[in-house]
Amino acid sequence: MSKPLKRNVLFAAAFLIPATLFTLIAASDPLPPDATYRPLPTRPFSAVKADDEAQKPRVMLRQADLLNRRYDMSDRPIAGVMMSAARKAVQGGVRVKLPAGVTWESLAEMSPDEIRQRGLMPEGFLPLPHVKQATGGQVIPDRHIDEIRRQEARDLRRFDVNFDLPDHLTPEFPPPVFLTTQPHLGDVSRGQLLTIKNFYEFMNGIITPVQMEGLRLLLTPFPQEEFNQTEDRKVAEQSTGISCLDCHANFHTNAAFHLTPDVRPQAARFRLDTTSLRGVFNQQVHGSKRSLRSVEDFTEFEQRTAYFNGDHVSATRKGVHLPDRTNQVAMMAQMQNIIDFPPAPKLDPFGRLDRTKATEQELAGEQVFFGKARCAECHVSQTSFMDNSMHDLKLERFYQIGNTSNDFVILPDGPIKTFTLRGIKDSPPYLHDGRLMTLADTVEFFNLVLGLKLTQQEKEALVAYMLTL
Amino acid sequence: MRLLALGSTLTILLVSSAFAQIGNPAGADPGTRQAAPGVPAPHQTNTQDQLFAQQVGSGGMAEVVLGRLADRKAQNRAVKEFGQLMVQDHGKANDKLAALAKSADIPLPNEPDPEHKAVQARLEGLNGAAFDVAYLAAQVQDHQKTAQLLQWEINSGQDAQLQRFASETLPIVLKHLRMAQDLAAQTAGQTPREFAPATTGMDHGDGSRRVRQ
Repeated sequence: MSKPLKRNVLFAAAFLIPATLFTLIAASDPLPPDATYRPLPTRPFSAVKADDEAQKPRVMLRQADLLNRRYDMSDRPIAGVMMSAARKAVQGGVRVKLPAGVTWESLAEMSPDEIRQRGLMPEGFLPLPHVKQATGGQVIPDRHIDEIRRQEARDLRRFDVNFDLPDHLTPEFPPPVFLTTQPHLGDVSRGQLLTIKNFYEFMNGIITPVQMEGLRLLLTPFPQEEFNQTEDRKVAEQSTGISCLDCHANFHTNAAFHLTPDVRPQAARFRLDTTSLRGVFNQQVHGSKRSLRSVEDFTEFEQRTAYFNGDHVSATRKGVHLPDRTNQVAMMAQMQNIIDFPPAPKLDPFGRLDRTKATEQELAGEQVFFGKARCAECHVSQTSFMDNSMHDLKLERFYQIGNTSNDFVILPDGPIKTFTLRGIKDSPPYLHDGRLMTLADTVEFFNLVLGLKLTQQEKEALVAYMLTL
Repeated sequence: MRLLALGSTLTILLVSSAFAQIGNPAGADPGTRQAAPGVPAPHQTNTQDQLFAQQVGSGGMAEVVLGRLADRKAQNRAVKEFGQLMVQDHGKANDKLAALAKSADIPLPNEPDPEHKAVQARLEGLNGAAFDVAYLAAQVQDHQKTAQLLQWEINSGQDAQLQRFASETLPIVLKHLRMAQDLAAQTAGQTPREFAPATTGMDHGDGSRRVRQ
């Protein structure tokens, strides 16, 4: 290249580069600074607390109103059907309320387009809002709060919200604990809630040192978004935090709820009903949207997600806990991986009903489950009634997106993982956000969403069958 | 249960009251006057409300300008109609927002922001199918951003009326987004990828407006 030409090229380049940069800058004006990142509070703790406390009765009334509009919340157990430890009756009947002028049968005859255009989707089938969407965070049921206060003198009560579902629509408390390593022992919980105080005494001699250390960590409170020492907490006293098993009580669930850590903005974050950890040893997909492939990955990262809403910046401010992969994560994972499903005496080793033990109705239900109702296409019996996949039901075919319900913007759910149906009678409420109160509700939901056109008899048989799982 | 029973008796009160939105008071402006403990008085804004009004105001203004441009320059009749719809819907929304901003004493911008001016300049230089493609691509982006902004205000703002405006506007903006996506797909010869095409359930109240190729 000759000197003048080279100079010209350089000159042209020097001229072009700033022009390009300018275009890039001008074309990328971002949304507000706190659209993704959590803003710092603008006022001192005492002022925020006073306002939160003043708002609380309205918050709870607004949520109760929403729940009563959506569901029949009454205490109507199925006669003679108890959860696995026989501490709580299983609730029956369809609880989702129908819009005026339709029946479940007439609704099932309509196309998704018609239901959407006429606004006939039962409200209880739509995503369920958190009790206080703008704040979100973990909300623990009263019975758990009381027991932790009694055993550990640790306060899990929030001053801004209470748990919103009545006790009879949640799992039995405390739930029984079954170990894959000790099937002959049955429930090893002694009818107690496992806590940092009692775990050693209860588990000494039946789990390994590695599992014991994992259990200790799973029961140790660590700072969390609403439970910490900063002015941005939602608990009256400075808090030592939350433990994994404060939601996954006894490795099952106490129906504590949260917002998904995996979505922004805040208004669009959907509610998450705590998942049971029973049978996690067979589960390959973890997290509501992250689709993590091992319980180790999930356990290691949960400090950033359930604890801090997928916001590592906030975690750093409030007290981050980074479990060591080899010495802590592996042990926590190994403890979780020995938690078994509750016994299902009517199932054979392939997860099919034993014909000598099942009733006619249960067998009929199994046939519907594997046939007309298409449940088994995702809830595969050989793999603990799940398929280790995420699926999109495209529920938004049935409703207009973008409407706001109690400050929660109802958008499409997108793909959600298949949950196990083993021990399902122990795990109300149902679906990832707990929007369905009973198994009968789940049958009506899928009857509509999958266009199954089940008869009343088939619906009842399906419920009877699911109670055997 | 007592709470649940109380809830139903107060349904009417709650539905009709100004308590539809309940924000996180940690984000309230320290100078907020309150109508009752924990309830900001009408038109008491925080930083987010103000930023929201300005950003949505400037975006809405650009929608009208670009919509008129599309009405004038678009090759495809459906794109032209979409431009007209933007002028109509965003014009209405802009008027509503201007009234709310005035009550809350928020100064709104007088002209579109530099980003939208750049888009406008680029579109002025395009014609025919190239204009349609570029206009629709810009519309998809704009409505994506506006939907995010509206959702952000619904949880982060504190002026109940601005928040209600955001809630009411969001479903319409999401419809526009879907329409722009579908039109862009049609222009590129693709079928809309979603289950529920925008051309069904696109009723804006009069039932007459449909997007046609």
